[in-house]
Parts: sequence; C-alpha cells; structure tokens
Amino acid sequence: MKIIACYSNKGGVGKSAAAVNLAHAAASAGVNTLLCDLDPQGASGFYYRVKPSKKLQDDRFFTDVKKFTNAIKASDYPNLDILPANMSYRDFDVFLSRMKNSRSRLKKALKSVDADYDLIILDCPPNLSTLSENVFRAADAILVPVVPTTLSERTFEQITEFFRDEGLSDKKLVPFFSMVQRQKTLHGETMARMRETYGKRFLDAFIPFTTDIERMGAHRAPVATYAARKTGGRAYDAFWQELSSRLKLT
Amino acid sequence: MLTLANSYEALWPGFEARKGAELARHDTVDFMILADSPQTLFAEQVAKLQPQLEEDVKTGFALLDNFDGDLRQSGRALLWMGDGLLLLDDRAASLFQALPGNQRFVADLPDGPVKNALADLPDLRCLLELTSGSLSRRNGALVDDEGKTRTRFTLLELHGTDGNVMLVQTEKLRGYEKAHGQLQAYLLAAADGGSGATAHIYHALVPDHLPYIAKPKTVFAPDEKAVVAATHVISAYLAVAQRNEEGIIADLDTEFLHDYRVALRKIRSVLSLFRGVYSDSQTVALKRSFSELMAPTGRLRDIDVYLMERDDYYRLLPESLHGGLEEMFGRFQKSRKSELRKLTRRFEGQAYARQMTSLQALFSDTSRLHMGPAAERPVHEYARELIWKRYRKVCKMGRAIDDNTPDELVHELRINCKKLRYLMEFFAPLFSRKEVKARINDLKGLQDNLGLFNDYSVQQVALQEVLDRAKMSDRGKKLDMAKSVGALIAILHQRQLDERARVTRSFAEFDSAAVQDSFRNQFQKVTA
Repeated sequence: MKIIACYSNKGGVGKSAAAVNLAHAAASAGVNTLLCDLDPQGASGFYYRVKPSKKLQDDRFFTDVKKFTNAIKASDYPNLDILPANMSYRDFDVFLSRMKNSRSRLKKALKSVDADYDLIILDCPPNLSTLSENVFRAADAILVPVVPTTLSERTFEQITEFFRDEGLSDKKLVPFFSMVQRQKTLHGETMARMRETYGKRFLDAFIPFTTDIERMGAHRAPVATYAARKTGGRAYDAFWQELSSRLKLT
Repeated sequence: MLTLANSYEALWPGFEARKGAELARHDTVDFMILADSPQTLFAEQVAKLQPQLEEDVKTGFALLDNFDGDLRQSGRALLWMGDGLLLLDDRAASLFQALPGNQRFVADLPDGPVKNALADLPDLRCLLELTSGSLSRRNGALVDDEGKTRTRFTLLELHGTDGNVMLVQTEKLRGYEKAHGQLQAYLLAAADGGSGATAHIYHALVPDHLPYIAKPKTVFAPDEKAVVAATHVISAYLAVAQRNEEGIIADLDTEFLHDYRVALRKIRSVLSLFRGVYSDSQTVALKRSFSELMAPTGRLRDIDVYLMERDDYYRLLPESLHGGLEEMFGRFQKSRKSELRKLTRRFEGQAYARQMTSLQALFSDTSRLHMGPAAERPVHEYARELIWKRYRKVCKMGRAIDDNTPDELVHELRINCKKLRYLMEFFAPLFSRKEVKARINDLKGLQDNLGLFNDYSVQQVALQEVLDRAKMSDRGKKLDMAKSVGALIAILHQRQLDERARVTRSFAEFDSAAVQDSFRNQFQKVTA
C-alpha cells in the first residue's frame, strides 16, 4: 500500500483538484484507492458529491474500527472510495499507522469488506503547524502544487526548510507546476529557474490553467469524466502516468 | 402478479418482514424477483431518491438446469444471457461469468466464479434449456439531491414462451447501506409481494415443468395388498424409463441411458423379488418382456462406460502404450455412433411404442394382472418377511466366505446384497425412513467393495472381448492394441485382487453385533 499526501501551504493552487483527479486516474487504472478529505473546506468530497460524515465527529471514533469502516463511502466510480473525514490530526495519525500495519484490526476489517486499498490519497489542509509530521512520515510521497510565480517559489522553499528542520526526508517531496499559463513570460521563466534549482525533483508533467479544470465545480466530477480528450483531461492523464511510474504504483 | 404467500419465510428463506418497510435479509443476497414487470416501477422518487434509468439492451436468455433439477432443488437458478451466465442463489450473492461458447457440461465451462459455484453438480449431467426467450436489461441508480449515486440496480425483464419474470439485481455501495435497504423495501412493495426466492423464477417461466425424479417415492399403507404395492412400484419406474427416452435419442448426456436401464432393472428385480404376487406364468412373461426392453441398450451402455474410463486408462499406462488406447477408443467412438443410431430407430419405431403403451396400461391398476398366491397379503408383513429372509441369506453366504472362497460365491454375495438394498428401498415408506436409510448405509461399505470387485472383473472380460472381436487388417495396429489391452488387464486384475482381499473384512464390519440387532429389531417377525 502506498500513501500520497497532496499538500500546499497556500490555498487555491489546485491541490484538491490534483487529489480528486489523481484518485480517479488511479482507480480507472485498477488501483484500489481511498481518497481521504482532510481539508476542512471539504473540496474533495464536494467534487465527488459525498456529504460530510457526522459520525466522524464522535470522540470514540477511532477506538471503534467498525465506526471507521462505516464512514468510508463508495464513490460513483469503480475502485474508488472516499473518506469524507472531519477529524483531528491526532486521530488521523492513529488511522494512518493502523493502515500501515497489515496486522491491525482496521486493516483486517477493511480487507473483510473487500476494501484493501493499494493507494491512499490524502487531501491535506493548507497548514503546516497543525498537520502532524507523522502524516508526512507515513506518506510515500508528498505532492506539492507550485504555481510558477515568484511568490510560490518562496513558499516552496519554506516547505523544504520545514522538512529539513523537522528531520524529514525532503526526497519525498514531489513538486509539480500547477495552473500554468504558458502565454505568460513570468511563468515560463519561473519554471525554467526552478527546474534548474531543484533538478529532477519536479514532475515533467504540469497542470495548465484551463477552463476544463475550472468547470470541475460545475460538473462536480473528475475532469476525465467530461473532458478526457481536452487539455485538462490530457494533462491529468500525463500527470498520473508519470507519477505512477515514479512511485511504481501499477 | 403473484400475491404474497402466507409468510415471507416460505418464499424466501432468510428473509424476514418487519414492522413498516424495514427489511432484513441475508447480507449477501443481492437480487429480488418480481413475479411480473410492474408498469409504474421507478415512475417516482424512492425514499426521496431520484431514480435514473439507462436505455435498455435486448438479448436472448435461457434458463438452464440439469435433468435431475439439481439447481432448482438447491435454491439456485442459472441464466444464460447472451454474453454470459448469471447464477442466482437463495443463500448467496449472485455470480456472473462471461461465456464465449456454447458449452453444455459444467466441466467444459471456462474457469470462473460460476463454474466454481457449480462444482457440486454431477459431472455426467449436461445443462439443459428449460425455457428460453428474450431479455431486456436496464441499468439504473437511485441518486440523492447532490447527484450522488446511493445505490445501483439492474432490471432484467425475461419474456419466456410460457411466462415472464423480472429480476432486479441490487448493488450495495459502501457507506450507503440504508439506501440499498430502501430500494429493496420499495421493490418488495412494488411487486405486490413477489419474492426473492429463485423458486419464483421457475414458477413464472416454466409453470408446467414436471420435475424428473429418478427414484420416485411410492407411498402405500401397511395393510395394502402386496400386489398393489408391486404394481405401483413398477408403474412408477416405467414412467421413469419413459422420461429418459427423449434424452437418449437427443444424446444429451450418458445419464439418460443409465437411468433408463436402472429403472428397467428395478422393475425386473420387483418381478423376481416380490415372489408370488403375480401368477408364475405372468411373472415369467413379464420378466422376458422387460429383458427384451433392456437387451438392445446393453452394448451402448458398455461403450459409454469404457469411454468414461478413458482418462483413467490413459493414466494407468505409460505413454508408449497410448497408441493402442487411441486405436481402441477410436473404435469405441465409431461403434457408439452406430449403436445409438440403432437404438434411436428402435425408440422411434411403432413396435416399441406399442410395447410401452401396453405395459403402461397393464400396470395402471391390478385389474389386468394375474394374481399369484401372495397377491393379497398385507404389504407390511410381506415386506418385512422378504427383507428378513434376504438379510439372513446375505449373512449366511457372507459368513461362509474366506480368502480362498471361489469368486463365483463372492459374486453371488454381491447380487444378494443388491437385492437386499432394492427391497429396503422399495419398501422404505413402510418403515421408518431414517432407520431404513441407516440400514442401507450399514450395507454400503460392503456393497462398494463388492461393486468394485465386480467392475474390475467385468472390465477385464470386456477388454478381452474387444480384442477378440477387432477385425483388423493392419497387423501393426492390432499388435499395438493388444499390448495396451494386455497391460490394462494386468492392472485391472491386480485391482480386482486387492478388492477381493478386502471382502472378508468388509463383511465382518457389516456383520457386527450392532447391525445384527438393528436388522432383527426392524425386520424380524414378532412372535407372540
């Protein structure tokens, strides 16, 4: 099982869109996927039309495996379940460690309902201080969307610093360019510079700024379901292909 | 539409109706069966959820089962639906498997979940179409106010030649179990009480289907006249034989001929075992008549048995001797064809039809039969006496057998054991069914042992005959076959010796004090 966290310390950079479309792409490729919505704004759940779960606010939640398994909901797509979570990060630490332990009661419970996930995608909130470093430790990769502007360049530096300060391996960081507008010279220059600074760490694939992706809010569905052959759909496909081979997901 | 029977349980084991619309059902069952297609189905919201239906797809369908009706009796229904097989089970989730070909035997199906779930069916029985017709399939979903799918379903409307039925497969989505329950409740209400049990598929699609029962249970009162009982048993088995004719002619599977012969053999054993119920001259005439019916089927059955042994024979011999086997089995296949043709002509001929009709008429009641001295005896007393005598005979013969007794006497013992079992089976309804079953079971170990001993000896003789009969111009081929047959006979001979060596012990096990007591208690005459 692999865990991918989608994280950004800045809002509105295409983080939830990446989580939503990545989850759909993985599931379509036959990877049994669980998408956990950890962002209080609940955007991932919104795109999948899943209502936030009340059960998850129960304090006893994580002491009771059954309650947890009950909170997982099927999406409208095969191989993809959603955890419309709204929980404390301490609880989420417990959840992740149990998911990583193949002998835990939680794993066995999920296996028994045919929900033994190959991939867990976390849509994380845009806040470094409250998100436990354990979540970063547990993750196999932390996807970071970077809008190619000078300000975002600075924000990404902050993340790498945070990782170094906390003694976390920054090799797990997988940045990618998001909301790219190719006609803007600034975007082009920033991308060139950052690729030079960070070497091969950045994904080759990038997500353009396009109406296909903007319309996700209106469709409330992954881009591939309504614009698979348009710019947006093709971009997420390339994004998935590269990521899955880099993380050996398929 | 069917109306709901007195209890849900009767229609649908594991299903309970509770107060209101709340339903509980075995977790894994995922389909419902509506006796007909309600026009208004999904015309409005279901528990505040919006139904969405896709366009329908039309294909053909067939309802399949073997001749013994094993699927129906075990609460299952197998549907071929254009592109695959759907297996419904009263106690488990439905299974689907794609089916590219037109396989008739379970063993020939491609590997898959349906094939696995059918592993309990007898290998020798083919799947038959009970009925067929057109199928309309529609996928649908119940969707909430956010446009999220809460539960999915597939409507299958089956239009058969003799009736229609609608199946709704429902899909429970993780986290949305409530909606699934609401859908089931809605369907149940919409069907005006149709039900989930697969039995309803059969009722709706093949309402007039007459189940085939290879061992009919005849019931008679203890004080019934022996001649009436004998006549009933013969009449029932005559009907069994006739039910098999069609399957033999169509060459569906080898069990049709086998069952046909077993039925006639049982009739013959009634004639010889129920001594004195018919007059001597009539008994002789009837025995002859039934022997004449059986005789033309013997050769074909023998060939069927050889062909069944095929894999075993290939395993027994090294590859260097397979050439001779090939030659031999090629000959069997050829003569099977001509034997079947002969038998078919016979079944379709007028003489055969006349013979069967007159036998049927003769055994329809006792008025045309000539009574023997035992005809009027009360059947219970008569049966008890026959079984007890036969049991004593088996014991006497068995106790006389040791490891050096000639084979003929072992064969005699086998035949008497068989007669004892037939008697107990025929008269089972007169005694405690459970007890009779237990006695038959006591006998089973010994019978299996003797049966194998006999099979191996018969096979040796038959193989020798095959060789003697083969007219071959090609001396090389003849030599190949002789080598293979010789090797087989040697192996079968050893197997026969092994079985023979077990006979004394098998009999001793049967002849235990406990079994003796049981037979005595049940069948010995109570003296005042």
